[in-house]
Amino acid sequence: MSVAGGIAFLAARYQLMNEADEALAHESRKLILKGYPNDSATLAKRVIARRAQKILASRGHIVYAPDGRLLADGLDIPPLPDGYAETIYRDHSRKWHQGRALSLRLPDGGHLVIVEHSEVDATMREMMLIGLIALIVVGGLAGVGAAWLLTRQIARRLDLSMSTADAIAQGDLSRRVSLEGLDSIFATQAASLNHMLDRMEQMMRSQRQFASHMAHDLRTPLTRLRGLLQADASHTDAAGRQLLDKAERECRSIIAIFDALLRLSEIEAGRHPTAMAPLALDEVILDVAETMEPVIADAGSHLALAPLPPARVMADPGLVQQLLVNLLDNIALHTPAGTRASVALAVAHDEATITIADNGPGIMPPDRERVVRPFEQGQQTRRRDNSMGSGLGLAIAQAIMRFHHGALELADNSPGLMVRLRFPVSH
Amino acid sequence: MGVIRVLVVEDDPAIAGQICHGLTARGYHTDLAATGAAAFDACRTGTFDAIVLDRMLPDTHGVALLSDLREAGPVPAVLMLSALGSVEDRVEGLVAGADDYLAKPFDMSELSARLDAICRRGGRASAKSDGEEGDIAVGRLRLDTASHRASFGSEAIELNRKQFSLMAYLMRHADKVVTRGMLIENVWAYTFDPATNIVESNLSRLRTRLQVLGCDPIETRRGEGYVLRADLCR
Repeated sequence: MSVAGGIAFLAARYQLMNEADEALAHESRKLILKGYPNDSATLAKRVIARRAQKILASRGHIVYAPDGRLLADGLDIPPLPDGYAETIYRDHSRKWHQGRALSLRLPDGGHLVIVEHSEVDATMREMMLIGLIALIVVGGLAGVGAAWLLTRQIARRLDLSMSTADAIAQGDLSRRVSLEGLDSIFATQAASLNHMLDRMEQMMRSQRQFASHMAHDLRTPLTRLRGLLQADASHTDAAGRQLLDKAERECRSIIAIFDALLRLSEIEAGRHPTAMAPLALDEVILDVAETMEPVIADAGSHLALAPLPPARVMADPGLVQQLLVNLLDNIALHTPAGTRASVALAVAHDEATITIADNGPGIMPPDRERVVRPFEQGQQTRRRDNSMGSGLGLAIAQAIMRFHHGALELADNSPGLMVRLRFPVSH
Repeated sequence: MGVIRVLVVEDDPAIAGQICHGLTARGYHTDLAATGAAAFDACRTGTFDAIVLDRMLPDTHGVALLSDLREAGPVPAVLMLSALGSVEDRVEGLVAGADDYLAKPFDMSELSARLDAICRRGGRASAKSDGEEGDIAVGRLRLDTASHRASFGSEAIELNRKQFSLMAYLMRHADKVVTRGMLIENVWAYTFDPATNIVESNLSRLRTRLQVLGCDPIETRRGEGYVLRADLCR
């Protein structure tokens, strides 16, 4: 902004200087006449005659004799080179002025100096300075305003893409950014985003198909394998029987992992929208707690249920049951006997929070993020019943919470683990 | 009551062999059809108590075959088999008119227990008089549906909702093997395999409660499931 102002200022000044020089040349032609004597004495007379007419107050004339003597008029001015120059001078009122001067050498060796007072130039400079400040202030304000408007417009347009992105994050891969009301770069960007989504949806679909084909293709040989292990068990000795039992257990755990994986992909793909219905969260908790209490008691631990306030959320009952069974089962499997666990429900105006807490070993903060990812477990310890988990329990719990637009949080119960399940409440 | 006749519709020879062999060893009479067309013909010419129907057949889909059979006449109890175990596939199978749905891979004991349950249900439909919702009695053991109380002779105890449902299911299937899977699906109505000791722990709790009454009729059959023995309720 100031650069532009500066350039404008310099350009205007250059223009004014040219005009001043022009005026000086014109004046000199009025005084130095072709075909007439132009010696210093003659010129002094002409200058005095011309000044007597008082044509221009802003103009001064000086004539020097060849020996440097002042012949006409009397401005106080420093020595000047021949030709045009910037100068300062003092006139009869003893005031310093700024001006432009033309110094000409006369044929007899004397000098004629014409000075043009750059009053206009000075005013111009002042005006330019004010203009420059005004320009900076106005330009600055305009810039801020324009930036604000632009930001708003961009934000409005990005809002459209963002709501689409949110829907996609919830698993609805069929959503696209609407091109309506978008132009130029935004339209191009939205189109390329949509193109990317097309590709992603296609990839997801083929991956899902791959999973379901794999399910089919692997289940058949697994069925045969399990049949073989069971059929041949009848005519083997004790050692062989043990080996077969072990093999069958492994077979079972492959199937368990497999089922959990399919379930996870099913939930993450959002294949259950039809099962969503208003659900009394307190009743489901009571039901699951009733079921899981004997399991936790058999593990030597204790489950307490706090009084449950009524809470209604939009949810898939099957998934919420699985969520709670998984988390309570974790307590039976991953905490030592004597652990005390509790389930509580709290309802705020837009959120229902289930808290499942225990005083077991807990999960260290760096591991908390890790354990909710598929195939990660708290530590590489075996479960208490000596079976290997699918490693998908918490990942499934996390997927179920995401499916319900809620959140799963792992926190420190000091000591122990606290799992918070936050459901948005439907009104 | 004669031998239960089962039509096995399965195109994989190894699995078909296992099913037929396993069912025959358990006293069923089996016929095998490897295609939908063969199954359709077999149903029209023979009489069966049950059909074990694979969902994916080389020439048709199990669901489509089932609706064809229904159009042609009365259909025996159907147990659908599938390599797809998802909730949706299961629901689709049951909506299409299958009496039960079993995902591969499965145990033979699971298959025979489920076949037993659906065959008996079909046969019992006319003879049943008390209705599913009424009080249930096996010998002197009675279950009061309104108060969730179990009584044996003069003694009575209160059961929680899960213990009550478990008890009711076992009593309705008295003297038959009920598997863990059947209990998870029918008592808990879970659409997932909880991979935990839910059934074991709750049954052992129920048995402890019943012992207070002086009655302990529930037996564990290792590798198969549970039986509520009517002779222990006298």
